[in-house]
This record gives sequence, structure tokens and C-alpha cells, in this order.
Amino acid sequence: MSYIPGQPVTAVVQRVEIHKLRQGENLILGFSIGGGIDQDPSQNPFSEDKTDKGIYVTRISEGGPAEIAGLQIGDKIMQVNGWDMTMVTHDQARKRLTKRSEEVVRLLVTRQSLQKAVQQSMLS
Amino acid sequence: MPAELRQEQSPGSQASLVTMPEAPEVLEETVTVEEDPGTPTSHVSIVTSEDGTTRRTETKVTKTVKTVTTRTVRQVPVGPDGLPLLDGGPPLGSFPDGPLDRHFLLRGGGPAATLSRAYLSSGGSFTDGPEPRDAPSYGSLSRGLGMRPLRGGPLGPDPGNGCFTLPGRREAFPVGPEPVTPAGRSQPERFQAESYGLEDDTRSLAADDEGGPELESDYGTATRKRPDCGRVLRTRAYEDVADDGGELLEDRPLYPAVTAPLAQPERGSLGSLDRVVRRSPSVNSARKEPRWRDPELPEVLAMLRHPVDPVKANAAAYLQHLCFENEGIKRRVRQLRGLPLLVALLDHPRAEVRRRACGALRNLSYGRDTDNKAAIRDCGGVPALVRLLRAARDNEVRELVTGTLWNLSSYEPLKMVIIDHGLQTLTHEVIVPHSGWEREPNEDSKPRDAEWTTVFKNTSGCLRNVSSDGAEARRRLRECEGLVDALLHALQSAVGRKDTDNKSVENCVCIMRNLSYHVHKEVPGADRYQEAEPVPPAGAVGSQRRRRDDAGCFGGKKAKEEWFHQGKKDSEMDRNFDTLDLPKRTEAAKGFELLYQPEVVRLYLSLLTESRNFNTLEAAAGALQNLSAGNWTWATYIRATVRKERGLPVLVELLQSETDKVVRAVAIALRNLSLDRRNKDLIGSYAMAELVRNVRNAQAPARPRARLEEDTVVAVLNTIHEIVSDSLDNARSLLQARGVPALVALTAACQSVREAKAASHVLQTVWSYKELRGALQRDGWTKARFQSTAANTKGPKGALSPGSFDDSTLPLVDKNLDGEKLGSQDVIPMEALGPDGYSTVDRRERKSRGSELAGESSEKEPLKSDPSRKVPPPGPSRPAVRLVDAVGDTKPQPVDSWV
Repeated sequence: MSYIPGQPVTAVVQRVEIHKLRQGENLILGFSIGGGIDQDPSQNPFSEDKTDKGIYVTRISEGGPAEIAGLQIGDKIMQVNGWDMTMVTHDQARKRLTKRSEEVVRLLVTRQSLQKAVQQSMLS
Repeated sequence: MPAELRQEQSPGSQASLVTMPEAPEVLEETVTVEEDPGTPTSHVSIVTSEDGTTRRTETKVTKTVKTVTTRTVRQVPVGPDGLPLLDGGPPLGSFPDGPLDRHFLLRGGGPAATLSRAYLSSGGSFTDGPEPRDAPSYGSLSRGLGMRPLRGGPLGPDPGNGCFTLPGRREAFPVGPEPVTPAGRSQPERFQAESYGLEDDTRSLAADDEGGPELESDYGTATRKRPDCGRVLRTRAYEDVADDGGELLEDRPLYPAVTAPLAQPERGSLGSLDRVVRRSPSVNSARKEPRWRDPELPEVLAMLRHPVDPVKANAAAYLQHLCFENEGIKRRVRQLRGLPLLVALLDHPRAEVRRRACGALRNLSYGRDTDNKAAIRDCGGVPALVRLLRAARDNEVRELVTGTLWNLSSYEPLKMVIIDHGLQTLTHEVIVPHSGWEREPNEDSKPRDAEWTTVFKNTSGCLRNVSSDGAEARRRLRECEGLVDALLHALQSAVGRKDTDNKSVENCVCIMRNLSYHVHKEVPGADRYQEAEPVPPAGAVGSQRRRRDDAGCFGGKKAKEEWFHQGKKDSEMDRNFDTLDLPKRTEAAKGFELLYQPEVVRLYLSLLTESRNFNTLEAAAGALQNLSAGNWTWATYIRATVRKERGLPVLVELLQSETDKVVRAVAIALRNLSLDRRNKDLIGSYAMAELVRNVRNAQAPARPRARLEEDTVVAVLNTIHEIVSDSLDNARSLLQARGVPALVALTAACQSVREAKAASHVLQTVWSYKELRGALQRDGWTKARFQSTAANTKGPKGALSPGSFDDSTLPLVDKNLDGEKLGSQDVIPMEALGPDGYSTVDRRERKSRGSELAGESSEKEPLKSDPSRKVPPPGPSRPAVRLVDAVGDTKPQPVDSWV
């Protein structure tokens, strides 16, 4: 999943569809993100490659929409509703997730277990 | 007589060897058949001189258990059958009995009475009467004989049958010249194995037989060439010694080569006694040519089970000797399951046996290889050692036991075991008594001084090691009754006597430092004292501040008082000790509470002022660092107390130290102390120059060797960062101290990523002060230059050029800058909700975490002592834990945002 500038990124992804929950006047998804091109990638506990500046899921609130949808902590978000999330700043990522006009967000997420599962099945 | 012997026979004549036994009397002169001409025969009787010529009669292997203390070359009259006429044989009579026995083994240097009585062969008495051999002689003996510890048979020379020692028993002699037992016993006495001949343990002392094989055959000694360097060395020594005149001989081959059985003497010349150990036939069978050989390790271990106690003792002593500095033998002992035997001997009824066993265990436990330590633990060694310590009154035994425990304590898995079994005993039996601390204060007597004994040193070293084992270990030590009190008392008395450079003091301070680590979290009741916030950054903390104790600051008349005057600017007063803030103590603090009482500050500062021992300095600074790291009331008091006790100048002065670790510890201590506002101001004014000097040294070392380590530089940079954060004045001081060029150069130097990051972090903070921008720009600094490396943590392009960085980071940087002088807070560009970033440390926490981590760095693995004398203690302690990088991050704190 490492990013080589100029090369397309290939990853095994899972589609996660989150229906936002309305809480008062906010729409929440129930998870928190970390990362971004303006952040320090070495502090990311979830990334395999410590130079990966992608957006990662750092926390999931219990019973929230994200958990229900199958999002897991440590997932890297590749796309949100078609918008790329691999090369964005933290704030941009947050904004793309929290558009008030969208009630459903469809994410493409990748995680190491997926990658491994596919590799294993390919090998065997 | 030796001389005469010398002349005799040339090594070559094996034949003579053969004949030797026959004519015991002749032996003196004749060379005994010795197997190898060159090597000292192991036969006891064979006395080979250095040149290997003379061979003494062979006497049987001196496996006598008894240590023959005198070294006499004696020939045992051999009867017609070749057996020494021990009974009443002249030689026997002449043997000095007492010394012969065993002692010599154990004592190094005693007269090596190696001759054991029973010389099988050649009953000729040795001409020289028992002559006490001194160390050198041992050597000689050993050569041939290899001091074998064997001494079979009844202990003690037994005139009657003296010669026959139990076969195979060899006394363990420490080999002569070599530094044998760590216990410092020297030379093994030569063992004179006595010719017991009983079982065979005739091992030929001299392994090499050059001689005719036939000779050997009698003894069945096969030359065993085992290259054992140790042995060789030893034998060599003997050889030399032998030169003295046939002394070697004296040692008669009885003793199997003093050298370790495993050692292969190389024979060669000198008919030295060393001979390859051969398995010689039993004395009985080899009447004609008794040959002694060194006991081999299995035999030595078997001797540990011998029913005769002195045999056990000697075997253990010999084993200790063999193990000295010989990792291979230590390993083999373990493989041959010798360790359980030794541990079992620790409970033996006889003191001698216990002492020797302990000495052997001490050697065996020392070394980089941890398997032996683990094996000792597995066979219940730790409880046995502790029992022995409780029971023993003899100082030497206590030294050995505590030395062994010190060795064992350096192995991590054993630390908790030692605490479990030994903490109470060590504290009550050693620390408390030797520290001079009185449990019940006795008004009549004046406080006793600490006694800096070896036992205390060993014990404190052991506790130092175990105290580094983590939170549980710290808790146990803190709660051990009387430990902290006694240690403090000992340190106080050291300071009082101005004797602060010794190892015991070092150990005690290190224990204190370790126990002070995280004290704000770990002591019972700590949460009572937790404060709502750490030192308030720009904002005011709600707690009351009083100016009251400013009076204290003005106490002195020295110029340094200026510090205090200056520092005391405004509202942010430090807490007053007398206010309600300070928990009232209805009774004197005791136990672990003493760890953080303000009174200890004076102690640590005294140590910092007086000691020249770098480890002690580092530990005292580390203790202050740990104490001032918390977010609790006591830390506030401590920080203030350090200031009041004029500690800040002491620390600043130590920044000039040439030793890295001292600079590092002091820098981090200052950093923690600057959590107190007034300290920060003072430190900023007075320490800035030193800190900048250190940075400059790091970046452009004046002398090549002055280059500081990375950790130290990072620590200094973080300290600078801490003091310039949220303090415009300090930032100005930094500029005035011409710190900016040094910092920029560091960021560009890209020698170390961490250093560069830390430096750029400081620069960013400085840049954030708008007031200073004017001054900076006047000097030609631009934002870009300051930021230059900020964005670029990896290999920046040599960088100094401002524009060459990633543009995407610049805005970020700008944001930072425009973030106002959040001083210590990095601007968090995103509206991060939580304070947590990846590192989930919030700003405040980060500070204290930084402090804690900094504190953590103080908890180091102490040095392991080398109880084995003659070996210098191992190297310096482990490097400190690295500081948290987060603080040095140029990027904003990782944040995460809830969506």
C-alpha cells in the first residue's frame, strides 16, 4: 500500500457504506480519523509503512454508524464517495466526510488483513 | 633440593620414569619416569623441573583430598610393588601434615603442600621436606600435577596411609599464579594428590608425555591433549615456577596439574608437570608409575558429592578457580549439571563447604552468558543464597553471597525472583545495619555513620539492578520497610563525611533515582495530590499563589540572589510551603514518603556539588528530574525547593560537564524544573548561555571528541524549547546568546533526524513570537529559513535553501506561525477535537509525558558488578530512553478528528 509518486496505488479494498446518524444538528459517522499529508506519518500506529500519509481510522465509537457498517479501527480510507483520500490534508479529509448534504458516505477502505487474505488465497 | 632435582633426568628418559617407582629413594635425583619429559608430570611424584628434567618420583596422584599445604618434594618411599610405603614411610612422616591438607588448595599461596602423602610411586621421600611452597611453587607443582584438587581419601594427610587419598579426589587447587579464585585466593596450593592410589585418579599431571608410551601405559595415562588454554596458562606458570628449583616437582605429581583438568597444558618443555590429562589408571594399578593428572571437570563435579567434606570444599574451590574468566568451563559446568550440586552445598552443615560453594557460584554466575544465571535460579539458588546470608556471620561468606546476588540481579528475569526472596533479608541484614540508620531514634547516641563495606556495596548494587525492573519492582522496594530510610541515611552520612565518590554511594543514589521514577503516579495516595493542571502556561492557574515565600528567595547575600530577585516578577508565585497546599505532616515522613520530601532536595544538591563520580552525578540529576516531573503537589514543592536551595546554579554549572550522560540528565532535569514559572525565568536567564554552548558544540564541535551524543543534543534542544515556550524573555535570551545560527545550522546539518527536528521545533516556536520577528528579520532570518527544515524531516536537501521545500508544508507552517504565540502549544491546524493525535497525548500531557519519559530515562540498568575480582566491572549503563519525539516534532501534533 505504499505510495510511489506517479504510480497508481493498488490495494485490496472493501466497500463500506455508512449512513450518518443525526445528532441534533450534526450528522455523525461515529469514528475518528487521523493522518493526512500535513501530519506526521511516523506517529501512526496503524500504518504498515510509516511514511504513509493516508487517512486512517483511529477510533470507532461503539454502536455508531461506522461500526455498524463494518468499519474497523486501523483501516485506511482510500476514497469517500469517489473523492480520493490518499493525498489530502487532514482537514480536507474531514470535510469530505462531513458534508452536510450527504447522508450516506461510501468508503473504500483497505486494511492489512485484507491484503494478507488475498495474498494467501493467491498463493494457495 | 630442587636444584638437585633439576639436574636430573632429562625429560627424555622415559625409561627412567618407569623405573622410578622402583627406587623411590633415588628419586630425588632421578628423574622419575615421567611421562613426558617436557611436561611436568602429573604424577605427583614426578617432579619435573622446569626444564623438565627431573622427574620426581612419581607419586601417586595427589588426589588426596587433603590439601597438602606444604610443598615438599618428597618422595614417598615406594615399596617393592611400587606402592608408596606410606605407612610410616619416611616421607610421610616428614610431611608436614597439617598444612598439606587441603588447605593449600584453598588458600592460595599457602605452602603448597602438595605432597600428599601418598606418593605412590617412589616412595622416596622427597628430599626436601615439606617445604612450604609459595605461590610460585605452586606453579610448578601444578605443572605437573596440575593441582588437582583431588585428594582423595581421608582428608588430611594421614601418615599412616596418608598417601592414599581417595582417588580422584583432587583438591581443587586454585592454580597457582593465576588469579585463581576470584576470591582472590591465590594459588592453589598445590595439591598433592596424594597417592592414594585408591581409585584411580591418578591422573597424570603432566599431560604430555612425551615419553615413551610405554611409560604411560602404566598409568594408563593417555595423553590427553586438551587444549585448554586456561590450563595451559597455568601450567605454563608452573613451569616457570618450576624453575625455582624443582619446586615443581614438589608439587608432586600428586596433584594433578593444578591446572584445570580441562586445561591442556601444553607440554612441552619442561617436562612440566602439565600434562595432558590423561586418564590414568588408578593408582593401585599404576603402582609403578603413578601418574597424576588433573581432574577433569566431571571428576571435579563428582567430588562435590564426595562424602568427605573437605573433598567437597576443595572441589568447590577448585571449581571456582577453573571457572574464573573461563566462559567455556562455566558453560560446561552447567551442562554437566554442576549447578544444582553447588546450590545444594549452600546448605551444608560445614561452613567451609558453604563458603567454597558460594565462591564457585559467584564465578559461575558472572558473565555475559545468562544461562548460568537462569540455571541457578532454576535449581533454587536464590532462596538458598538468601538463607545462607541470613545464617552466615562470617564476613567473607556474606561478601560472596551478596556478590553472587549482584551478579544474578543483572539478569532481568531474575530480578523479581530476587526481590521475592531476598528483599527483606537484604534490607534487614545488610542495608539497615550498615547504613547506620536507627530504626528507633535513639536520642542518646549520635547518629551513626554508614559503613562502606563490601557487603554493603554488593547489596546496594544488587538492589540497584532490581530497582530498574519496572513498576512492580519499584513498588516493592518503596514499601520495604526501612529501605528508603536507610539509604537516605547512608547518603546523608556520605555527604557529611565528604566521601561521595565511592561505588556504594553511586549504587544508593541510583536506587533512589529509580524509586523516584513515576513517584507521582505510583505511590499510594498519589492522586490526592494531583493537581488540576501542570504548570500553567500563559494562563493562570487557579491555585492560590502567594508571595510569601519570596522572602526565602532573598535570603542569601550572594550575587546569585539576583536570580531570585529577578525571577520573582509577578503573580505567578510558587506555592508557598507553608500554605495549606502543602499537606500537613503530623508525623515525620518515613518510608517511601521520604522519596519526595523537600528535604531530599538538599541531599541531591549536595551530591551534585560534591561528587566527582559521573554515575553519581547523573543519578542525582536524574532523581531531581524524576521528582520534578509530576503533575502533583509534591513536584511543585520540589521544584520550588530546588530553587530555594540554590540548586539551579549547581545544575547549570554541571551543564559544562564533559560527560554526555551528565549533561543529558541535567538538561532534562532543568527542563522539568522549568515547569515552575519562576524557575523557567531564572533558567532562561542564566542557563541559556550554557545550553546554547552545548548546542553549538553539537553542531560544530570544537574538538572532534567533544561531539555530544544524539540523545544529549536532543535533550538540550528540548530543554531550550521548553524554556522559550511561553516566555518571550527567554526567547529573547536565546537570541542574545546567539543561539539562532547554531540552531539553524543544526536543522540543516541532517546528521540526525531527531536533532534536526528538535532544533526546528525550537525555531518555530521562536518564530511564533511576533515581537521578535523584527529582530530576526534584521539579522537576516526569514520565515522560510526557519521553516526550512521543519517540513523536511527526512533528508532534506542539504538544505539550507529556503525555497526548496515542499510547498505543501509551508502553509502549514504559516498556520503555525500565525497561530500566535501559543508558545508551548503547537498550533493544531485542524480543528482537532480531541487532544489526542496518533500519539494520543494531549498537549499538556505531552509535556508531562515528556517529562516522564525524561524521567524514564533515569531508570537505567545499573552496572553489574564483577565480583570476580580481577575483572573490571562491565561497561556503562544502558543508554537512556529516548525522549519522546513528539516534542521535537516539527509537524503539528497528530490529531484525529471525529467525524
